[in-house]
Amino acid sequence: MTSFVNRRELLRRAGGGFGAIGLASALQSSRSLADGSNAALDGVHHAAKAKRVIFLFMNGAPSHVDTFDPKPELAKHEGESPSEDINGKNRAGGFMPSPFKFAAHGESGVVMSELFPNLARFADDLCVVRSMHTDVPNHEPGLLLMQSGNQQPIRPSMGSWLSYGLGSENENLPAYIALAPGLPVVGPQLWSNAFLPGEHQGIAIDTNHTDVNKLIANIRHPRLSGDAQRRQLELLRKLNAAHLEARQGEPSLETHIRSMELAYQMQGEASDAFDLSRETAGTRESYGDTEYGRSCLLGRRLLERGVRVVQVFYVKNGSKQPWDTHKNNNDSHIKLCADSDKATAALLGDLKDRGMLEDTLVIWGGEFGRTPYSQVDKSKDPKKAGRDHHHTGFSMLLAGGGVKGGLTYGATDDFGMHAIQDRVHVHDLHATILHLMGIDHTRLTFRYSGRDYRLTDVHGRVIDGWFA
Amino acid sequence: MTLRADTSHSMRSTCQTFVVALLLATRGSAAPPTNDKADFFESKIRPVLIEHCYECHSDDAGLIQGGLRLDDPKAMLRGGESGTAVMPGRPDKSLLLTAIRYDDGLEMPPDGRLDPRVVKDFEKWIKLGATDPREELPTNALPEDRQIDWESARSFWSFERPRLHDAPVQNDWGTKKLDAFVFAGLQEVGLAPNPKADRHKWIRRVTFDLTGLPPTPQQVEAFLVDERPDADRRLVERLLASPGHAEKWTRLWLDVARYAEDQAHVVGKNDSLTYPNAYLYRQWVVGAFAADMPYDEFVRLQLAADIIDPENTDSHLALGFLGLGPKYYRRNSPEVMADEWEDRVDTVSRGLLGLTVACARCHDHKFDPIPISDYYALAGVFASTEMFNRPLNDAVESKGGQAKKPNDAVHIVREGKPRDLNVMIRGDVNNLGPVVERAFLTVLSDEPVSLKKGSGRADLADAIADVYNPLTARVIVNRVWNQFFGKSLVGTPSNFGALGDRPSHPKLLDDLSVRFMQSGWSLKWLQREIALSATYHQSSDIDPNKQAIDADNRLIGRVPRRRISIESYRDALLSAAGNLDRSIGGTSIQPDQPDSNRRTLYSKVSRLDLNPMLARFDFPDPNAHNANRYETTTPLQKLFLLNSPFLVQQADSFTHRISHHGGSNRSKIEFGYQTAYGRKPTNPELELGEAYVAEGTAEVWQQYTQTLLISNEMFTVD
Repeated sequence: MTSFVNRRELLRRAGGGFGAIGLASALQSSRSLADGSNAALDGVHHAAKAKRVIFLFMNGAPSHVDTFDPKPELAKHEGESPSEDINGKNRAGGFMPSPFKFAAHGESGVVMSELFPNLARFADDLCVVRSMHTDVPNHEPGLLLMQSGNQQPIRPSMGSWLSYGLGSENENLPAYIALAPGLPVVGPQLWSNAFLPGEHQGIAIDTNHTDVNKLIANIRHPRLSGDAQRRQLELLRKLNAAHLEARQGEPSLETHIRSMELAYQMQGEASDAFDLSRETAGTRESYGDTEYGRSCLLGRRLLERGVRVVQVFYVKNGSKQPWDTHKNNNDSHIKLCADSDKATAALLGDLKDRGMLEDTLVIWGGEFGRTPYSQVDKSKDPKKAGRDHHHTGFSMLLAGGGVKGGLTYGATDDFGMHAIQDRVHVHDLHATILHLMGIDHTRLTFRYSGRDYRLTDVHGRVIDGWFA
Repeated sequence: MTLRADTSHSMRSTCQTFVVALLLATRGSAAPPTNDKADFFESKIRPVLIEHCYECHSDDAGLIQGGLRLDDPKAMLRGGESGTAVMPGRPDKSLLLTAIRYDDGLEMPPDGRLDPRVVKDFEKWIKLGATDPREELPTNALPEDRQIDWESARSFWSFERPRLHDAPVQNDWGTKKLDAFVFAGLQEVGLAPNPKADRHKWIRRVTFDLTGLPPTPQQVEAFLVDERPDADRRLVERLLASPGHAEKWTRLWLDVARYAEDQAHVVGKNDSLTYPNAYLYRQWVVGAFAADMPYDEFVRLQLAADIIDPENTDSHLALGFLGLGPKYYRRNSPEVMADEWEDRVDTVSRGLLGLTVACARCHDHKFDPIPISDYYALAGVFASTEMFNRPLNDAVESKGGQAKKPNDAVHIVREGKPRDLNVMIRGDVNNLGPVVERAFLTVLSDEPVSLKKGSGRADLADAIADVYNPLTARVIVNRVWNQFFGKSLVGTPSNFGALGDRPSHPKLLDDLSVRFMQSGWSLKWLQREIALSATYHQSSDIDPNKQAIDADNRLIGRVPRRRISIESYRDALLSAAGNLDRSIGGTSIQPDQPDSNRRTLYSKVSRLDLNPMLARFDFPDPNAHNANRYETTTPLQKLFLLNSPFLVQQADSFTHRISHHGGSNRSKIEFGYQTAYGRKPTNPELELGEAYVAEGTAEVWQQYTQTLLISNEMFTVD
């Protein structure tokens, strides 16, 4: 295991020509943060359990009663109308039992559906939260709430807050990278820095591309060879040095010089980080050659190199929210879960093998859940039945990063309608993620528009029941 | 107790059993004597309140949360904003119990549930009559008795009207009145102003600051040989009259107005909420600045042109200030409309008044004298105003007076049904307090100023663009100052409230603001006044002795060296490359496309997907009003300089231009320096360049010219 740690250290430091001080000032914005201190350097409030986080986001919202929250009562009451329709749109069919078998796995006996045969191997690493709830059953506000703590698109995303609080572990790569093969619903606002400084914006990578040069904008000069560019930079260095010489006492000019040098190094580092051809065929096969599989593998390479926050969006070319199974819920979940199960398990396995799971927080879930009752279209064909949006109770998974494995936390009622025990709001999830990353969610603030803003606004409580 | 999940049979039956058991228990035994009840309170209830509740719900709490106090028997019975906390004998009507049960969306204490046994104690205590032997506290400490003392509130510096000030004893430094204030400030700490900047540096500075563009080599040359005493003045007049001037200042305003052409949410291909003709508003602003429209009129038209001048439909383009505001997903639902009104209140109050009124949406402003009722009095104006897609012409399809397709419309506002809003307690649309009549901010009104004519927009416009409004002139003067010095007199340009900065030069700001109004609210007058000041003529050199006394240059003992904005930098690249297209107005461009040659002002601004070049270079998020730009320096910015097709295109064009200039390598290099930096190269610079291009190939020239374009000097103004 030690050798893996060293390998990661090596990956992180490769190409880094500057010591810690150089790194600090190079990454620091040319103005100081609002309160005059630099949170990227000293903002950690307590010891962190997780150094980095990867959020595997199932766009469109998976069905909790088909995945991690078994509800046998649904079979007994199949077809009965629920006494309330959460969506208020009068499109509810009767209760629809899950056709999938559930079983306990691992020593801990975490129960999950047969749709996750690979993830089942990691049952003892998983914390299954069954008592999530959020504010509205609509994708846009739900996504924004999950990503930024607010339903309107005017707040920084969680990744931006973490970048602001913690900076990057690797001077040659951005702190926060969002991987999406095409845009998800809502789009770039999901990784927006909003009012935080621009450096904290998530760098979006369109994983439809496989060629490194297309994955990252401007990573390589269209014509110049590496040698020619090195020569050009040498000239630039001399011009800038003379310019600086005549302007003593301007640290910002030195920052520009260092930043240019970092960019040059990043060209090499990023090319390597994003190049999946450097993985063995076996490894690539274990993740699966799908958009999501490639994103997970890329995510692992980025985490290894010290990227602080990796956000994977489960989007497919042509569908901005594949998990939105209003129709054909069962068939769709078979396909979607197969893909998600394989890559997510491969990622957990890789992180574990590298000794990284213990300080990498992995989160899996969508913006809400799906109704325990069916939604049928005009054909009334039960085989095509779907499930509608459901926000009052749903499941999410966590693993690694100081989270207790083999834990099933909270519960919905007998029908999966409402979270009733140990309820966890999205704000609580955020508060706990920040806590695991060493941040007190009430103290990571940014002064804007006359008041101190934070990810959790005036909400959020840390769920210490999740801690290992 | 309400259980929302009718389907959760087992849970409900458990609770019923529990309640029945409790009833039986209380019926079966005689009620304990009062002393026992008091003991029960003291031993089981009070310690819990102290340990878990007082932090936020007592007189000792810095801010009493939710208006609820639990340290006073009467206040506890009365409850807070959400309702009755404790109703003796009725656990089901006592919100305190609901909250500690984590029921019905109320979850207290927020950091974790109390032990179920403790919850049962509370239930028992309420059931038995909620005996509370604590002494009542003096009532004047109760939250609803907190009153704003308006007289003292209005004595805060920014709420007092600015007035003229005598210039401090003058010396021979400077010809402008503002210089005397700056000089006095420096003198007070024993400092003197910096010497004058070199003329070639100054022309570059003032040209960028007034027009956002670099001076051409010819303009530099003409200025340097002009030895007439009024050379500076004539240069400034030329710049103020140039078309580039209005374009540069328009961008400042678009930051204030959170200008954008679409929404952060676009559902599928549904473009019904987008603003494809937003550029017409941008064009209107350019025209207004070019004509030096008085700022008070400029403000009035943007808030109420349709009411002020109904016939002059061209002037209604000004209403884009409101009409291009964000429309949110699920609009028309009450909570979403409340969010939209917040945007309008925020943009108008921070943008025009430097006040953070939106902070008072959920509670009285915690620092400024803005009660929650003032927020809703103002929000009512926007609730009475409709977003309006006015048909571009009679030929387009319309419905109810609105164009059916956004493409056929200009995006403005019109009068809606006038309505007064209820206060929404804690910002909750379902928790309504009293109705408040539309009115202007109390702290800015000696007598109540009603906003009741129609929507109230015209009245609001008058209240803001009023010479007696203490904030309007100061706020715009401060924003303009910021553009010249990279730093404003009030360091928080959109917050002149208690948490904002105090002015570095209060008398200067006040005096300049009054004279600005006396000069017909003329922005060009203001810009001339600043540009021709000795203060603005100082060099940017850093004097270590001065630095020791005034490290952040608060006293303006030099003009700070600045990095130009992404707009100016991109425009300067196009200018050096000979590609800059100077046509004015029109639809938007994608600024990072290699063949995009118009000024950066004309960039498409998207709330959904901001152009990555703009986003990377600190362009503000157009989803909300922007007070001030950040400046970050990141490797990703440098990658754009090193490798982007746009930069490579400009370097190629620059190379062609230099090659076309002809002559020796030395003369070509001189031409390059003059074009890019407005100066001649030094000897070492010439030697470096000659050595670099010695091979003479197109490739080395391209590398060389790109280097000139991306060096620090290109985007630094002395």
